Amino acid sequence: MSSSSSSSSPSCPKKMITLKSSDGETFEIEEIAALQSKTLESMIDENCASTPVPLPNITGKILAKVVEYCTKHAEVGADAESLRAWDAEFVSVDHPTLFDYILAANFLEIPTLLNLACQSVADMVKGKTPDEIHKIFNIKSTFTPEEEEELRRENQWAFD
Amino acid sequence: MDPSVDFVPILGLDMSFKILLSLGDPCDIARASCVSRSWHGFVVSNGLSKQLCLGMFPQLSGVDHVTESCSFKTEAETGSSNTKEWDVLEREHRVYGFLSHCCRSIVDRECISDAISASSTDNFPEEGINNTLEMRDRVGRIASYWSSEGQKKPAVPETLIYKLVGDLCVITEIDIQPFQAYFQTGLPIYSAKSVRFRMGYPKASVDLDSVDQSCHDSTNDKFVWTYTSPEFPMAQENCLQKFKFPKPVLCIGGFLLVELLGRVQRQEMDGLFYICVSHVRVLGRPLSPTFGVDIIEPSGKFVLKALSYTKESLPESSPRRISSLELQRRVRNLEHILNMLRGNVRDVEDIWDEGQDDSDEEFA
Repeated sequence: MSSSSSSSSPSCPKKMITLKSSDGETFEIEEIAALQSKTLESMIDENCASTPVPLPNITGKILAKVVEYCTKHAEVGADAESLRAWDAEFVSVDHPTLFDYILAANFLEIPTLLNLACQSVADMVKGKTPDEIHKIFNIKSTFTPEEEEELRRENQWAFD
Repeated sequence: MDPSVDFVPILGLDMSFKILLSLGDPCDIARASCVSRSWHGFVVSNGLSKQLCLGMFPQLSGVDHVTESCSFKTEAETGSSNTKEWDVLEREHRVYGFLSHCCRSIVDRECISDAISASSTDNFPEEGINNTLEMRDRVGRIASYWSSEGQKKPAVPETLIYKLVGDLCVITEIDIQPFQAYFQTGLPIYSAKSVRFRMGYPKASVDLDSVDQSCHDSTNDKFVWTYTSPEFPMAQENCLQKFKFPKPVLCIGGFLLVELLGRVQRQEMDGLFYICVSHVRVLGRPLSPTFGVDIIEPSGKFVLKALSYTKESLPESSPRRISSLELQRRVRNLEHILNMLRGNVRDVEDIWDEGQDDSDEEFA
């Protein structure tokens, strides 16, 4: 299922490029939105984007969202406040999806999406104790009680 | 059991590093190193504490190595399985982490310990640099300010050297009040056109007790400046002007150079340009006695020493060391007063400031 872009006036058709996910789905994205990806931008410059661009590391589910993000951020006239709210909504997803956004944004070199998603993960760690971090990310401690005791002693100033 | 969504192995080195570094708070990074064995290994081996600290204070790029006076591990505990490199990484993790924490959490206070010397002084010691430590522009009936010598050209700069409390301080702001000659007609204010600040330490060859005017001719020969601030314009106003640094700066070495660039006020009496300063104040966070530095000459690199892992602060009102110059000045004033009382009024003018017109009337 390919997503369609916003309507274009007949006198000025928008240039589209096609992206192909790892699981074979194709997605159309306006060239102007695709320019937010440095990877796609250089492909467009070198004229390699006329045929569907294969992205073997990104699934259809994630690619659809990435296209949605780039299209939204390519819109003109959006006010900063509502864009921020839209961004916050965009990253309110489960952890595996959030991590996939990071990996996709890193691969496609989309700095705005990368920073947004990384900041979201950082915010989960900020101000938390190790126990809280264990619960959030379902991580096992792997230290012996003696090791934990020693580490706490060494880093006492961080727990005060 | 739900599968672990530990992002460190999922996202890999670069992304995990980016995320943890963006935490920005040394406490968060220290706590992250306590989460699990793999997080601890990640944080320590990638020097996250050090990177965060260097980002806050680029002046630390001159650090050769770090030492701890108090180690958490005894000789016996450091197992033979630990390589020397790992020990260094762990030590750096502890020292830089605690350093950035201290830099952020100590409250600002006055950081000047002593006024050392000025590039020139009109009437020494009455108009000497020591007066800039006094907040008021007059004490009783005696004006308190430093005055440069007069110059025909307004472009000639002046410099003042101060010693700070401790050889490691975080400086956030420097305040300067130019002097308004309230005893001269027109109430001229002898400010500078702009100011700039440098911080660093004297070269090993410099004898601090004999730092005098000649040191100012070529301060670069006598001092190593680890930081130079941008130039700040100064207003010709009789008020304490605040020069806030864009980011707090780590002063390594404990010495401050105040550069007064350009003169704006001519003295009517002789037609020469002067710069006069009533008060200098340095606001920041001293890191002594918790941290110290040793300079490695001649490379200019230094050793960063963690002397304790509890925040010990200097006493708030540490008594200012009265320099021998100050003592001389006070003795001379007393001598003058004694002379006057004995009826020798010859030297009355010397106690009062240059250009004071009504001094004779005071003694009538």
